[in-house]
Amino acid sequence: MADATFETAPARRAPGVTRLTIFAYLLVAPVLILIVALIGYPFVFAIWISFTDQVVGNAGKWIGLANFAYLSKNATFTASIWNTIVMVVVSDGLKLLIGLGLALLVNQALPGRGIFRSFLMLPWAMPGFVAFLTWRVLYQPIGGGINLILTATGLHSGVIDWLGQRSTAMPAVIVATVWRGFPFWFVSILAALQAVPKELYEAARVDGANGWQQFWTVTVPGIRQVVIVTVLLSSIWTANGFENVWLLTQGGPSDATIVFPVLAYFGMQTQRLGEAAAVSVYTLPVLIILVLIATSLMLRDEE
Amino acid sequence: MSEADNSKSGAGAPWTRRKVLGAAAASTAAVALGAGLAAPAIAQGKKLTYWGGLIFSDDANKLLTDTINEWGAKNGVQTEVVMINQNETTQKVSAAVASSSMPDALDVGLDLAILLARQGQFSTLDDLYKKIGDAQGGWYEGTDKATDTSAIAGGRVGIPFGVNGNLLLRRKDLLEPAGFKDPPKTWEELAAQAAAVNKPPVYGLGLALSNVGDGNTQMSVLQSYGGRIADDAGKKVTIKSDATKAYLSWVKDAWDKGLFPPGNTTWDGAGDNQAYLAGQAAFIANTGSVGIAAKKDDPDLFNGSAFSALPGGPKGVISPITPQLRVVTKSSPMQDEAKALLEYLSNPDFMNAYFNVAIYGPVLKAQEKLKAFDGSNTILVGLLDLAKNGTAPAWPDVYNAAYADLSGNFIIPKMVQRVVIDGWDFDKAMDEAQTQGQAIYDKY
Repeated sequence: MADATFETAPARRAPGVTRLTIFAYLLVAPVLILIVALIGYPFVFAIWISFTDQVVGNAGKWIGLANFAYLSKNATFTASIWNTIVMVVVSDGLKLLIGLGLALLVNQALPGRGIFRSFLMLPWAMPGFVAFLTWRVLYQPIGGGINLILTATGLHSGVIDWLGQRSTAMPAVIVATVWRGFPFWFVSILAALQAVPKELYEAARVDGANGWQQFWTVTVPGIRQVVIVTVLLSSIWTANGFENVWLLTQGGPSDATIVFPVLAYFGMQTQRLGEAAAVSVYTLPVLIILVLIATSLMLRDEE
Repeated sequence: MSEADNSKSGAGAPWTRRKVLGAAAASTAAVALGAGLAAPAIAQGKKLTYWGGLIFSDDANKLLTDTINEWGAKNGVQTEVVMINQNETTQKVSAAVASSSMPDALDVGLDLAILLARQGQFSTLDDLYKKIGDAQGGWYEGTDKATDTSAIAGGRVGIPFGVNGNLLLRRKDLLEPAGFKDPPKTWEELAAQAAAVNKPPVYGLGLALSNVGDGNTQMSVLQSYGGRIADDAGKKVTIKSDATKAYLSWVKDAWDKGLFPPGNTTWDGAGDNQAYLAGQAAFIANTGSVGIAAKKDDPDLFNGSAFSALPGGPKGVISPITPQLRVVTKSSPMQDEAKALLEYLSNPDFMNAYFNVAIYGPVLKAQEKLKAFDGSNTILVGLLDLAKNGTAPAWPDVYNAAYADLSGNFIIPKMVQRVVIDGWDFDKAMDEAQTQGQAIYDKY
């Protein structure tokens, strides 16, 4: 009997599962529990209530895709899709250009570049609501800073209602959004630039590459991964950005600047949690696609 | 470290299922213990929590806080007063309902009161309502009808403590020299007077056409032209009509004449206040908060201003009152104390002092005789008139959840924006509003 027991006991032990392994799992368990409680549960719960007619104070009942069907027929929802795409693509494009340009500039051996770097971080360090309320004041049609400058410099006289016209409202919101967000791009790209080995540039110069060729063959591959991650993060933040639009235009005029988060907020204002959650859930596939693209590009780079 | 090393040290010995389950149970118990320890701490601190509605007047906010705390001290009840910005009440209360952390009593607007009464969140207060009414000459009819939640909650859930609504604030210092001594009686007259003094950067009509509560004043204008949001049953949306077209003509005409200040289609809740205080608007429709701000910060502007009732349209004056209520939450373990506090807060001495510094009209007939309404304060005179003659919320429409939802989605100001911003013709703008409005009503 005793021999038989000794022979069967090792067979039950899962290969590689040791006390240390289990202890390690126990050590990370609190973090996992926190992640599930603080991220997993709200995430799944939001998806769940998007399929219900829940309002504040009432759990509601399962209504299938009714919230999504209602939204898809709503002209404001359609406008919010387009506006969100425009906001993300144009904002991130401009942030990339400005962030890259400034990072390349500051990466040079210039006098006072340390101060310049700190100065460029100011928009990001400023609380969002302060930044956007300041922009709102600047955009004021009467007495606003931008119109005063235009008048003083003779570029334009009269009142431009920057936030009150369809033609200028979205560009105005984008400019404020870019101003607030470009430092993140700048600092990320600058860090990546400083990690590119100098020897590569020397080798390229020896091979006769000019500045432009060095940029494309050394700099771009060197910062590519960082830019991809930055694009991903910035796109998600911009798509979920609320305070920029809300503080500047509340989604108006008409539906010129309505975006997903503002639309969801309107749903919350009317207590219809299921509908508000459905707006947010609509963005999920897009964000998942963004993550998958970025991940696959990063993995390809590693290979 | 290899597996052999682990075995030597003893750390690599395989765990049995029992051991793992035991560890898991211990972890779970630890978490549960942590949660359990917190509970008595909440229960021990038995105090009455009151969420007051934070308004523009610091004096009013302080008076409410001090009065509640004084009442608590006199009656041996520990109190905590948290002043909640009225623009954020909905969000905070929504979160509190979801997390079962509602205060014992709070101030709410009628919209939120009705919505949450429907969900059974508030205690019924019929006896207290009657007692206070009987003691102070009865409730004004408009307030009484508007706050009756019996049909949806089995009784009255709120004790009204004030009404607000829009008054017309005008620059008499500009209008009287132009020959307009009396306030406009109709929207057409208003536009005519506004046009007479419209000299940018002073614009005639400081009315919001944006996606905020002030923008919904346009619903009242539409209704005064005979337009309706829905039928008498409150089911079928009837926005598209000749009356709505007549209303849109009025707005478009004023817009084309340049009577609205630039930016009014994206104003936030303070847009009209700021325009008036900056001297950029000759007329605004406002609750009176601007008057208080002007009285304090710009006496010249205040002295050059006058209040009157909103103008009317072809179908009369639509000037909805918005009652504010005090409610007791059903989850409160201090029902008796909360009701006693609400009764105390309706006493004439406190309310007289409160009306003097707040921007509310009276709700009880006896309050008309309070010193606050002796005629010396023009804002309160206007609010008294509103309390006595204002129309019920939504009237002539039915005030129901669908109407509140439509208001919250700013369907009417958006329809106007389609016309003045996007250049849509009236029919197309009305069609969209009609479709969107019906989609909202179909949900209820």
